Amino acid sequence: MLKSIGSKIWAIPGGHVPLLSSGEEPRDTSCDELCVLNAGHFDAHLQLTIYYEDREPVGPYPLTVAAQRVRHVRFNDLIDPQALPLDTAYAALIIADHPVVVQFSRRDTSQAANAIATTLAFAG
Amino acid sequence: MSMRDHRGLIDYDAARSQATVGAGTVLHDLGPILHGIGMSMQNLGDVDTQTIAGVIGTGTHGSGRKLQNISATLIGVRAVTGSGEIVEWSIEKEPELIDAARVSMGLLGIFTAVRLQLEPRYRLRRREHCTRTEACLAHLHELAEAHRNFDFYWYPRRDEVKLRTLNPPEAPPPELPYARCIHDQEGFSHEIIARERQLKFEELEYFVPAEAGPACFREVRRRILERHRKHVGWRVLYRLIAADEGFLSPVHDRDSVAISVHQNASLPYQEYFDDIEPILRAHAGRPHWGKKHSLHGAALAALYPRWNDFMTLRRRLDPQGVFLTAPMARLLREE
Repeated sequence: MLKSIGSKIWAIPGGHVPLLSSGEEPRDTSCDELCVLNAGHFDAHLQLTIYYEDREPVGPYPLTVAAQRVRHVRFNDLIDPQALPLDTAYAALIIADHPVVVQFSRRDTSQAANAIATTLAFAG
Repeated sequence: MSMRDHRGLIDYDAARSQATVGAGTVLHDLGPILHGIGMSMQNLGDVDTQTIAGVIGTGTHGSGRKLQNISATLIGVRAVTGSGEIVEWSIEKEPELIDAARVSMGLLGIFTAVRLQLEPRYRLRRREHCTRTEACLAHLHELAEAHRNFDFYWYPRRDEVKLRTLNPPEAPPPELPYARCIHDQEGFSHEIIARERQLKFEELEYFVPAEAGPACFREVRRRILERHRKHVGWRVLYRLIAADEGFLSPVHDRDSVAISVHQNASLPYQEYFDDIEPILRAHAGRPHWGKKHSLHGAALAALYPRWNDFMTLRRRLDPQGVFLTAPMARLLREE
């Protein structure tokens, strides 16, 4: 039986939610999205800290991913402790209490020709 | 001044579903107290951390097309007036005084006990659905008619809504085929109407005539999408409140829709609220007394047909202006 996979620390340096969207929302809303896999047998409690170019970090943003589940979270939707500004460079540091796997995706629908980019986050 | 010693049940009339409680009783405590004598409040707002006198004094409300705000359930009060006199008013003997007292912001006296019209305790089923904004607006009338409690959140960074409904479990309304259910829960009303809120926020809320609600919301939505999405992630809340007769009640004499916009307390909000408030005012909106707005004196007086009646009563009950604090004097332009 697989006991655990992933890491407890992840970093995403290249965050930037596009301001504009085209197409039908919420399906086509421009967004940065976190995908977290928790293949373990315990709920994983994550704490996100958001870093900016010109101001102090903000956080923690609490997230829970149930055991043996995957969860998708749009950075656009985070409001606790405060909403991220769109069209602003940021980075995210994620610390979990159990190993998880973190993938980061950006959907940019600013123009009708949509663009999607995705990458595994950097595991610490 | 502390109302800590004015809490709890004083007496009740089970046959009429009425109870008198200390004015400093917190709603979160009041629910179980009333439950213990077989009663419940007709409705609650989104949170239950306020005192009963506070929600009555500010016109606090929940949501439901046929449900009035909490102050409309006030049917009797014991108060200390500005001259130090202890008075008792009742809906049977002094209906005008009760209508004035219902949303009086502490200006008529210090309430020490309130008598409430309640209901036999009851259970509700809470269901929450997500759907596209246009689907919600297309079904808005039937949603308001079909559900005991109905409101919706609109999420500006998804252009999506969450429909929130509460109904008697034994009388379920029709399913919502255009929406996906994300929450289903049943319990006694005091356990299930209010939600727990930890995150601090700023809020601007106006009550517009019910018939103006959809158009007003569409304009607010359009403005947020055009100008404010970069900095605003918080939802907009759309609620329904039935008319009442409170002199200064924001739903005085008209069924209303309450539209509120929010921002994290740690982020700037003034520019956002300043831009949205004229839209709400243009639809004949009246501001919530307990939330952010920019109106004073004459601008407020013009919104309330019984403004002068209230102020005449205020001066009679409090000739020295004991309860007319500096902030209230600035708000009302009273001396």
